[in-house]
Parts: sequence; structure tokens; C-alpha cells
Amino acid sequence: MTPPEDGPDRRPYRRLSPLTPLVRGFILLIAVLASTWDDLLRGDLGPFAWLLLAILAAGAAYGAASWLRTTYRIEADELRVDTGVVSRQSRRIRVDRLQGVDIVQPFVARIFGLAELRMDVAGGSAREGSLAFLTLRDAEALRETLLSRRDAVRAGRNAAADGSAAAPEGSTAAASRERVLARLDLGTLLASLLLSVETVLFLVAAAVVAAAFVVFGQLGGVAGVVPVVVGFALTQFRKLSAYYDFTLSTVGAAAGDTGWPAAVRVRRGMFERSTQTITLARVQGVVVSEPLLWRRLGWARLDVAVAGYAGGQGHDNGPSASTVMPVAPRGEVLALARTLLTGSFPGAPRTEPGPDPDAVPLSPAPVRARWTAPVSWRFLAGGLGEDLAVAREGIWTRRTHVVPHARVQSLRLRQGPWQRRLGLVDLRVDSPPGPVSLRMRHRDAGEVRGLLEREDALAREARLSSAG
Amino acid sequence: MKEPFAPPGERWEPVSPALARLRHALVVGVAVVLLAVVGVLSLLLPVPAAAWVGAVVLVLLAAPLAWVLVGRNARWWGYAERDADLYIRHGAFFRTLVVVPYGRMQYVDVQAGPLEQAFGIASVHLHTASPGTSARIPGLPADEAARLRDRLTSLGESQAAGL
Repeated sequence: MTPPEDGPDRRPYRRLSPLTPLVRGFILLIAVLASTWDDLLRGDLGPFAWLLLAILAAGAAYGAASWLRTTYRIEADELRVDTGVVSRQSRRIRVDRLQGVDIVQPFVARIFGLAELRMDVAGGSAREGSLAFLTLRDAEALRETLLSRRDAVRAGRNAAADGSAAAPEGSTAAASRERVLARLDLGTLLASLLLSVETVLFLVAAAVVAAAFVVFGQLGGVAGVVPVVVGFALTQFRKLSAYYDFTLSTVGAAAGDTGWPAAVRVRRGMFERSTQTITLARVQGVVVSEPLLWRRLGWARLDVAVAGYAGGQGHDNGPSASTVMPVAPRGEVLALARTLLTGSFPGAPRTEPGPDPDAVPLSPAPVRARWTAPVSWRFLAGGLGEDLAVAREGIWTRRTHVVPHARVQSLRLRQGPWQRRLGLVDLRVDSPPGPVSLRMRHRDAGEVRGLLEREDALAREARLSSAG
Repeated sequence: MKEPFAPPGERWEPVSPALARLRHALVVGVAVVLLAVVGVLSLLLPVPAAAWVGAVVLVLLAAPLAWVLVGRNARWWGYAERDADLYIRHGAFFRTLVVVPYGRMQYVDVQAGPLEQAFGIASVHLHTASPGTSARIPGLPADEAARLRDRLTSLGESQAAGL
């Protein structure tokens, strides 16, 4: 219950966009107007219409009050957000705790040119740090200010003393250094969505229905197929709308740094636009996925694991926030992966691209693994490179998991009773929650301990060199 | 060429024999409770006597098997402290070896439930940023658990690597 201190000596506080209540209540407004407009035009309102209008008026009053009572400002190295109509809440978000700042534009907000600023705070839920809604320009400016201030605080510079003077300059410089890395064209996206397992199932279902029609002369099974078709169309449409106009760009490093970018920025969405910034120093690993139907075309998808940002689990159903390239030629995807991995090698010369996952020699699982993994054993492979641990698996979708040695959390060996009879052991490299889960399954028991100890030594060396 | 689950040094540091005693006591306790339930039900329910005899025989056969298995499992717990990481091995049936670098530890837990306290043991749990890291050592003598926790914490601080 802290009242906002609005004294003139304070740094000015700011409000959200005055259109915020309108955007939040837009659906309600439309619904009420749609159900009462002919009554309104006739000037003859029934009790139901009066009730709806009263609810609307109350909502509008509450929205306006909520808008009036919500303020934010940057104080030293904190973002302070005061909210609450009846019970007041004052939240302070320390800028050096910010993992990332995303800008999301839900469809209605986008019509009005507004955006929501979402702040990822270490250990906080998504709702912890959200400012909705600001004008898009304000949101972008605030993001730049927060991020540059965070970098300043992290770099140990005294942002508290003269932060107000330094931050705007830094922000404009960082913003101007944004450079487009890759853009997804609509044709490729549509083709990639059609070339999916769901399409095959859909065609099989259609063939079954057609066959039933020919044999029995009636469309008995159609009713059962309709929900499947609708579900398929919805899934693919959600991906299309989420990945529409997908743009990946790099964001410049702090002043004086050349070569590797400090972060990449993902912009995507048809109705709801979202902008997500991934700090390369926090990248924990990448996954290159190649579904069966894409392989002939040489296409792949790239997902990234970021600490403190679980995102999606990297499955094929539905769009995922961890995806940094939904579909692209494999060579392009690998180039992007190398750029993303550069953040794990702060000491390396910055003129070179990051380490190449394809350069890591992979060795397959021994043939006797077929007794425990009858089909999938053929697709298992793994190896340790100079800078990276790489493992590949998957029958339908071939997934290549890549973890830099510097980002290894812990290592595990596991052996079930059946594997013991065959002399096989699983080796796992643990990563923070996210799409990356590196497993070298069914390795030969004789070599696996050597692999474990080599990875352990490489990881320790990488930790020491990246810390120093 | 090394056996996959061999100790990194000379030998595995074993956990307290009290862990096996605790688990044996649990097996006996569960068997006694099951026999009591069967006995009470046999007085209350009109079911042929052969079914009750079968149930009793089943419990009496399963209990010694469980006794042997939990004892074997307890003997397979072992750990080894090294300069930069901790090795933990466990599981007689599903064998697991975990390597946790001290620099990756986020925090260390020491837990002791009422039963564990009665047997004078505690378990130490290491957490990293990955939920997959299942690094737990049960059945350490209480003072050894405290010593290990303090040592791990100080090593973790001096070698912390961030994310």
C-alpha cells in the first residue's frame, strides 16, 4: 500500500498509453455493441441492453481508474511499476536481473499501434514484469534503455550516478547497429508447413475415406474425419500465423566491440507481432531439426536454449518461442547456429565465425544396439569436438543437439539391465530446461567412460578460460 | 579402457551402513503391516481361506526378495570427491553415474526425515541449473553430510562459473 511519491523533485513518472483500457476491453466492447446496436439505433433499450451497457460503463470506469493509477519510471538501476486501483502495488525490477525484454503486439493492440513490454526476470514468472500497453515507439525506446542500462550495470560502470545521460546515447547507437541476418519468405514457410507428417496423415485419411466411398458407396466415415482435418488445419495455421514474416537480425555489441554481435532479435507474427531478443552470452546450446519430408529439399529448423527462458520444448506441434529459424536451407541454418554459439567463446578471436557443429566427428552407436533400439539405433551418433559436444538422433525428425563445452552443467552415465547384457551405456550432457537435451545413447561400454572423462576435462578447461 | 562405473580414484566412498538398516527396517515394517491387513480382512470378509493363504505366502516370498534388493541397492551408492567435480554412482539394476562440476552447483540441500534422523543419517542433494542433474547422496552419517555440504558450498563459491 505504498502511495506513489509524485513530488516535483522526483524523476518524472510515466503512464501507459491512454488507449490501454480500450484495448483490454475491446472484445467486451464489441460483444456489447453487437448485441445492442439495433436497440441503440432505435433508441429503445430493453432491461438486458441496459444491464450490458451498465457493465460496459463500469468496466470503462475501472479501466480509466486503473490507467490513472498505473505509473512507471526508471530509478537509478531499477524499473519501478506502481499499479492497483484499490490495493496499491509497487514493483521494482532490477535492470541487472533482466534476462531479456520482449515486445509483443496482440492483434487488437496492433490495430491501435500499441505493444506490451515483457521482461524476463531470473526466477520470475512471465507475468512478473509486464507493461501493457505502450505505444510501439515507447516500448522500443524503453527496451533499448533497459537493455543498455543493464549492460552498463553489468559491465561495472557506474550507471546509477550518470545513467540518465549515458543511456539514451548508448541506446540509439545499439539500435542503429541492428542488421538483418535472415528473413523467411512466405513461399518457403507455406511449403514447409505442407511438407509435414500431418499432411501425410491427412492424405492417408482422405484416401481411406475415398476408398470407403468406392467400396460402400456412401461417405460413412466423413463425420469422423472432420475433426481431424479441422485440428490439422488449425495447428498449421497457428504455425503460419506465428512464423509469418519471420525476421532474424543481429544487435550490435557494446561500444568499441566489433565482429560478433551481442544479441540476436527475432521478429515474427501475422496477427500478433512479437519481438524477442536473445543475448548470445546466455545461449546454452542449439538444436538443428530435419524432418523426413524436408531432407530431400535440404531444409532444417533451428531452436536455441537460453538460460532462464524455458520457451517451448521443441516438439513439432505448435509454434515455439525457442525457434530462431522455422525453416531454411541447412547451410544457412548452420551458419546461424555458428553465430548463436559465438556467445560461449568470449576469448576467441572475433573475426572468425563460431565453431562449426558439422566439423565435429560423429561416431555411430555399435551395431549390437539394434537389440535394444531396433530401428532408431541406425540414427544415433555423437561425438566431442574441440569446442562442442554434438549428438544426433531421431527416425522421422533428425535432431542434432549441440552444446558448447563451456555450457555443460553435469554429465551422466546410465545403464539398464538389458543394456548391461549388451555392453551399452547412455551418456547424457545436462543443460538448463529448454529444447536442448544432448544424449549419446547406446554407446559402447568400453569407450563411454573415456568419453565422459574427456568431456569433463574439456568442460572444465572451457569454464576456466571463459571465466578468466 | 575403463569399466564405465569404476571409481575415478582408488575406490568409491561408501554411504553409511545405516542406510541399508533403515531400508531393511522399512521392508520388515511394510511386510508386517500387509500381514496385519490380510489378517484383519480374513476375519471380516467371506472369501475362501485359500485366497488368504495365497496372500500370506506372496508377502512372505516377496519380503526376503525385497530385503536382498534394497540391501544390494544401498551397497551400490558411492561417491568420490575430486578437485573440480563430484562423482556419484548408484543403482544396482539401473546403474547411474553422475558427474557434477563444483563450478556448476547452484545450491546444496541437506535433508533428514524423521526415520533418517532415528538412524542418524541425512541425504545431500546437489542442484545445478539443469533439472536433469539428479545428484543425490542418501544415507550419509549426519556429521559427514554437514561436512560435505560445507565443503561443496565453499568449493562451489571458489569455482563458480555462472551460466
